[in-house]
Amino acid sequence: MSSREEILNRLRGNVRETYDFPDLGFKKLEFADPVAQYIETTTTTAGARVFEIKPTDDINAKIREAYPDARIIASNIPGVLADLNPDTVERAQDLEVVDVGVIKGEVACAENGCVWVPQTMKEKAICFASETLVLIVSRKNIVSNMHEAYERIKFNDYGFGTFISGPSKTADIEQSLVYGAQAARGLTVFLTD
Amino acid sequence: MKIGLFVPCYVDALYPEVGVAAYKLLCSLGLDVEYPEKQTCCGQPMGNAGFQNKAEKLVENYDELFRGYDYVVAPSASCAAYVRFFHDGIVGHECEAAKRTMDLVEFLHDVIKPTSLKAKFPHKVSLHNSCHGVRELGLSSPSERNVPRFNKIKDLLQLVEGITVMEPERPDECCGFGGMFSVEEPAVSTRMGKDKLRRHMATGAEYITGPDSSCLMHLQGIAKKNGEPIKFIHVAQILAAGL
Amino acid sequence: MSTKHSIAAEKFNQDSGRVTRHDQTFWSVRSKRDGLAYQLEEWEQLRESANLIKKHTITHLADYLEQFETNAKKNGVHVHWAKDADEYNDIVMEIMRQHNVKKVVKSKSMLTEECHLNDNLIKHGIDVVETDLGERILQLMEIPPSHIVMPAIHVTREEVAACFREKGIIEKHGAHAAEGLLKEGEDWRTSSDPTYLTRAARYHLRDNFMEADCGMTGGNFGIAETGDIVVCTNEGNADMSTSIPKLHIVSIGLEKIIPNYKAMGVFQRLLARHGTGQATTVYTSHFRKARPGAEMHIILVDNGRSSILGNIEHWQTLKCMRCGACMNTCPVYRRSGGYSYTYFIPGPIGINLGMLKDKEANYHNCSACSLCMSCDNVCPVKVDLSTQIYKWRQELDSMGHADPLKKMTSAGMQTLFEHPSLYTTALKFAPLANHVPAFMTNIKANTWCYGHTMPEFAKESFHTLWKKGKVK
Repeated sequence: MSSREEILNRLRGNVRETYDFPDLGFKKLEFADPVAQYIETTTTTAGARVFEIKPTDDINAKIREAYPDARIIASNIPGVLADLNPDTVERAQDLEVVDVGVIKGEVACAENGCVWVPQTMKEKAICFASETLVLIVSRKNIVSNMHEAYERIKFNDYGFGTFISGPSKTADIEQSLVYGAQAARGLTVFLTD
Repeated sequence: MKIGLFVPCYVDALYPEVGVAAYKLLCSLGLDVEYPEKQTCCGQPMGNAGFQNKAEKLVENYDELFRGYDYVVAPSASCAAYVRFFHDGIVGHECEAAKRTMDLVEFLHDVIKPTSLKAKFPHKVSLHNSCHGVRELGLSSPSERNVPRFNKIKDLLQLVEGITVMEPERPDECCGFGGMFSVEEPAVSTRMGKDKLRRHMATGAEYITGPDSSCLMHLQGIAKKNGEPIKFIHVAQILAAGL
Repeated sequence: MSTKHSIAAEKFNQDSGRVTRHDQTFWSVRSKRDGLAYQLEEWEQLRESANLIKKHTITHLADYLEQFETNAKKNGVHVHWAKDADEYNDIVMEIMRQHNVKKVVKSKSMLTEECHLNDNLIKHGIDVVETDLGERILQLMEIPPSHIVMPAIHVTREEVAACFREKGIIEKHGAHAAEGLLKEGEDWRTSSDPTYLTRAARYHLRDNFMEADCGMTGGNFGIAETGDIVVCTNEGNADMSTSIPKLHIVSIGLEKIIPNYKAMGVFQRLLARHGTGQATTVYTSHFRKARPGAEMHIILVDNGRSSILGNIEHWQTLKCMRCGACMNTCPVYRRSGGYSYTYFIPGPIGINLGMLKDKEANYHNCSACSLCMSCDNVCPVKVDLSTQIYKWRQELDSMGHADPLKKMTSAGMQTLFEHPSLYTTALKFAPLANHVPAFMTNIKANTWCYGHTMPEFAKESFHTLWKKGKVK
């Protein structure tokens, strides 16, 4: 008998009483103004910045404004002036040098600042290895809580997605909060219409 | 209403005045109180040490002795909780007396519901919310949970004239007694006790009071060893002050 | 007979300042958790839902595992089953041989700790690099974790700095890391500033991410309906570990499978709030397929879990999602430290898991509980931790590990408490001696006197007062 069968048989044999999946219909946290709450959460506890972008704004100028010292910008978003494209780099390692990665988020959650970022590029290293991130999210896609967020998120064929709520951080040395552990050190959300 | 008074072993031997206060208090509220003499212990010291099987006969005795009362009342939250939540499991059947056993505070608060008391106690006290009172009997809302805040002990104490009731920082962190725990883990138990004592004393209270003489005994032993001037008194004694 | 825990705890308590720091560190996490709990109206409903979802899933685990496997395979992911640690390590080695792996970057996983993966990799000549900062510090210092979520929190910044100097990290990355960070006059060669040390570690780990041939992660959740593996981190190290190398190996305990996204919503809201007192971890990553040109493997590990399911009294430990909240609230853990326990997972859940793993090795931890029940009330999935510890204690005697003193005392109590007349007689003589008599606790005077004075017996017990008609 394979380990698989052995394990499954033992699990089936050891169940005494079974339980039903519960009703999750209880009332959940709702914000009167999820957009305002999202901005509040993101700029305080999550440690990120929010730029409110108007349709008339020049996105490239805004990226410069957010990170004036950036030398290498990476993105595959049409219209973003980028030095590197995560779809065409040969290896993931090539994105190590990126100062600003510009990526898109699809759903944002007001209660904790999480933004759903599905992989939409060949090398997702852009989302993590970049020194800083610009994350573009539409204010139309902000929900109050994670239950709603999980109802809305979608996968594409890349088969990866992540909720990002701020810059990488750690408190592993004597509980001192430090931004910029292994992944992006800074995060600016571009909130569009 | 017929009440059986249960005075657990260590209250019996070390703090009889707590038993006396409970008796007087219950009588003063017009209740018919009896003290069955053949009572001994709730069995918790054995159970917590890993020998609940040695408490089987004791549990049967307890049930026989107290089953005829409408309520069994004990001036000790931990003992009352042990009777109510563990006796059935020890003997493997339902125990009538265990179901009707209550701590003095919860009995007064939930059953008798007095709106005034004759007691006077013009002192500042720091309230010791003991673990089993909080987390088994629900004498107060556990700080871990998001439930409406309440404290039945405080509610009762505030009926006493002249009293000021304080609560320490970390109001329901364990004091470190834990029965046999204090003997088996003396270093941690003592440290927990010292921390608790310090927080009680920081309220500026003259007395530490609570519904469990066991916690108070532990804290008192530490206070004395360290020459701390704070005094200890059981909630029953305050509620019965002046009777 | 003192338990190993009590001996180690006494040693830990010799440094009172260290106990204070340790206690305050974890109490502050507990307090942050409380703050979030009070803010969320549906807090208790979330906990109860999490409890019920786990109960449901664990009692239908075989079905959910099959569903998970089917979906993962549809996604092109390789699924392996390991019945124990040995088989698990063999599977890992086989995958690594096929890919000719020389260096592995790894995010934190208690399961790999449980299966001694790192030792095994090193034995086979594979360079393994932990990438969670805390875990990396411990790995470099060659010491085990003292907490499951904040594994190196007991190490001081000075110790970290000394370690980084000794391992050449400061020499290689110090000057770069110090740029724009250190105050004037502060020397990067000797600085122990946490931000600076974290930066140096960042560069050190970046080198390793770039060179690795394989990334290994654990999994906080596996989702049956989709085949997703969900990994939650603050540092982004699991994502770095899987975005660069072309091989991703997931190691996950069977009990981490949950049914669907509805369940995931509940757990995502609870995990970080309980574990670190944050509303979320920075990253909640869903791995469903391998990257283009890469390979993804999932190893489902039993290692005793399917047997635990058959244990009537302790099966609910399988609900645990390793958030660490029970440690943070445990007054004994906070005052005795992670190393005083004999099992690598400390605190209330560790006492229970240790007993389930190896009673002989771990019964020593059963003394590390005052039965205050705080852990039961913080647990996001409502594991009945203290009740389980109470039950283990009832087993110690039949294992031959009951404390003889406690046994004698309990037997003495039994005799007295079963015989009211004997009890009354003992009480009568108690005040004469005015020390704690055998019937009550038979406390070895020196143990109780470690921190207490002896309680004084009343001149007349309540029994005596009653008999004499003095209770009125």
